[in-house]
Amino acid sequence: MLNPPIIVDINSLQENLKVKLKDSKLGMISSITGQELFTLILNNNEGNASLLISDIENNNTYSALTPAIPQAHWFERYLYEMFGIFPQNHPRLKSVIFNDLGIIDYPPLRSVDQNYHHNFQRDTSFLNIEGNDLYIVPVGPVHAGVIEPGHFRISCVGENIINLEIRLGFVHRGIEKRLTQIPLTSLRFYAESVSADSSSANALANALALEQMLELNVSERSKYLRTLALEIERLSMHICDLGGIATDLGFNTIAMELARLRGQVFAMGDYLTGSRYLRNYIGTGGVRKDDDQYLSKIKSLIINLKPKLTKVINFFINNQNVYQRLHNVGKLSKSLAYDFNMVGVAARASNIAYDTRLIYDQGIYPVAILKLANESDGDALARTKVRIKEIITSIALIENVLDNIPQGTTQLVNVKHLPANCIGLGIVEAFRGELIHLIFSDENGQIKRYAIKDPSFNNWTGLAISARNNLLADFPIINKSFALSYSGHDL
Amino acid sequence: MKYILIGLQIILSLFLPLLAIGIIRQIKAKLQNRIGPPIIQPYYNLIKLFKKNQILSHDSTWVFPLSSIINLSIVLILSFIIPWLPFNKSVFSGDIFLLIYLLALMRFFTIIGSIDTGSPFSSFSTSREVSLAVLLEPAIILALLALAVAFKTSDLFQIFNYAYSLDLIKIPVLILSASSLFLASIVEFSRCPIDDPTTHLELTMIHEAMIIENSGLNLAIVEYTYSLKLLLFYGLIAQCLTHCILIILNLNILLQSILCLLIIFSLLILTSLIESFSVKLSWHKVPDFIAYALTFSFLAVFAAIINGVSL
Repeated sequence: MLNPPIIVDINSLQENLKVKLKDSKLGMISSITGQELFTLILNNNEGNASLLISDIENNNTYSALTPAIPQAHWFERYLYEMFGIFPQNHPRLKSVIFNDLGIIDYPPLRSVDQNYHHNFQRDTSFLNIEGNDLYIVPVGPVHAGVIEPGHFRISCVGENIINLEIRLGFVHRGIEKRLTQIPLTSLRFYAESVSADSSSANALANALALEQMLELNVSERSKYLRTLALEIERLSMHICDLGGIATDLGFNTIAMELARLRGQVFAMGDYLTGSRYLRNYIGTGGVRKDDDQYLSKIKSLIINLKPKLTKVINFFINNQNVYQRLHNVGKLSKSLAYDFNMVGVAARASNIAYDTRLIYDQGIYPVAILKLANESDGDALARTKVRIKEIITSIALIENVLDNIPQGTTQLVNVKHLPANCIGLGIVEAFRGELIHLIFSDENGQIKRYAIKDPSFNNWTGLAISARNNLLADFPIINKSFALSYSGHDL
Repeated sequence: MKYILIGLQIILSLFLPLLAIGIIRQIKAKLQNRIGPPIIQPYYNLIKLFKKNQILSHDSTWVFPLSSIINLSIVLILSFIIPWLPFNKSVFSGDIFLLIYLLALMRFFTIIGSIDTGSPFSSFSTSREVSLAVLLEPAIILALLALAVAFKTSDLFQIFNYAYSLDLIKIPVLILSASSLFLASIVEFSRCPIDDPTTHLELTMIHEAMIIENSGLNLAIVEYTYSLKLLLFYGLIAQCLTHCILIILNLNILLQSILCLLIIFSLLILTSLIESFSVKLSWHKVPDFIAYALTFSFLAVFAAIINGVSL
């Protein structure tokens, strides 16, 4: 899946990327120790990924990629904040981690280096907007609902939003650093806590990366069970997000029905893994728990759930007022979605046909037949419709898996050490979109760098852009139609 | 006898409003397959709020706490000048114009109280409230004036005096005014589909964001004021509808009271039904909704004028 890394000179990186990104997608840009820059490029046509590594010699600075490649903008902010590498001429090097002091003591992910000096400052400013009839509404970081912290600063003219700025980083836990310090046996527990609502996707990405490093083969049965976990998670979270949209529209009856039906999906997860949120299930080499008797219980639950869920969802989406509220709200055009590297539901709603399940090996994909859920409008309605389509495919996939699951062993492999100087890549379609775990090991077989790119990392920009020129009262719907993770971004 | 009835009315206006809110919530919960809070939960909330400390915004002045107290006084006066129960007796004379101006005065104090806190949420919800009020007030005023024209008096106790000659031509005026007042009450009390009273989203709120800075005793007063005002409005609508029935049927005062309470109860059910099965309207569509209320008011006025000509 991952081609051998290529060394590229930092000065020619921009030209190189420009050519490559014409028919591939930017996976992530980050650094391993702070001395170099790596760029992961996903060649979606060939179904593999290539890694470009460029050394940074010139006093921790390089010429920023963002002016030519807008996809890189958030990655370069992160690079500056976490590694102390300064991208020159970056249009806006705003801080991605919340820190009141505004001073970087030492870039947290940079390897310890006595010679490293810097005088970089955190930029925590907001875009200033001045004029008559303008007012600024600050929302958060503590919200009225039980959600994670994030600060939105909305500049309005009357009821219209002219600019939205998002400040995240309130729940930064240093998880990438921590993942390099803990014993390999507890790696998967930390990896799946990156974003607790997509824990099975994170566990799977971690497992895929480690299996690639160890060159392990996974039994067919494990692949089926992993797919089952992944799809149960997708089903559960999509129902939750749909219910969230119904709540925000004031359609409480539907929201309550969906919450009730989601309980059945939780029960399916509980039968499969012993945890309603599918924690501690997928691991290196297989899955932790495998019991045929529970699979038949899941089968009866999904058969029971399907007609009820379809009925509620049809009632919801065929409602005239729901259509009116969601249609043309929070529009994100295809070109903007491409420019800012949207993934997952947001990308598919803007007519970008991209689903990593169709391209990269994960679970029983891409062998299992999967219908790409695509919509062309790019508004909140399109995102809701993509969710509904994916709910339907998920149910079909769960039934498919339960009907065709082969026999076999699913034993986990106890990982003691990794091969030296090795790279492992795991790409998984979490319910929010493309999730990447990239692991680098050092010469002792220890993890040198564990890089994670959550789908929310790409999509927060999309939210900020699509909120523009919409009604202030519609912002909660736009936010909910993206349904992004704060902790997934903050790491 | 008069004083006993006045006493009864005071007791009812103290205890019925919160019960009405509790009933709406309970019916909504049942419609949504939830168990829901007990009907008397609003009383528990009120007691809880009385015990709590009040937190005031640093930017607020004496205007803020004063506004909620003034509003409470106004709504208590309203409970005496609106004949919302059949046995209500006029304690002091008041008429439709006093009612209209007291409602406007209440809105004024809600608005300055809300602006006084300096919170951005209060400010934008105030601007929303004012834009809606401008559209809404004609609907309420015309609906009440239609009654005044039809009954040739501006005293509400004269209009709903249970002793006028039976005449069928007044039925359309009463029904149209009642419909207009009901639609207006949905906007006035920020219920669905105009505003969702259960929402937690500050950015979509109208009424809830105006009172977002209230806490403790202040919030208790605001909530009680809101619920009493709601009950008075529904009582007024119920009076219109009761009189429609009384034109056809002759009932004694006990049955009249029961009928009136039943109509108030069915209005509460109607509100919860609307709230359970409607989607909050987009902000652009709210004026259209008010236009319906206004249309009913106009029709009521026409009916009243025709009524006057035919006499």
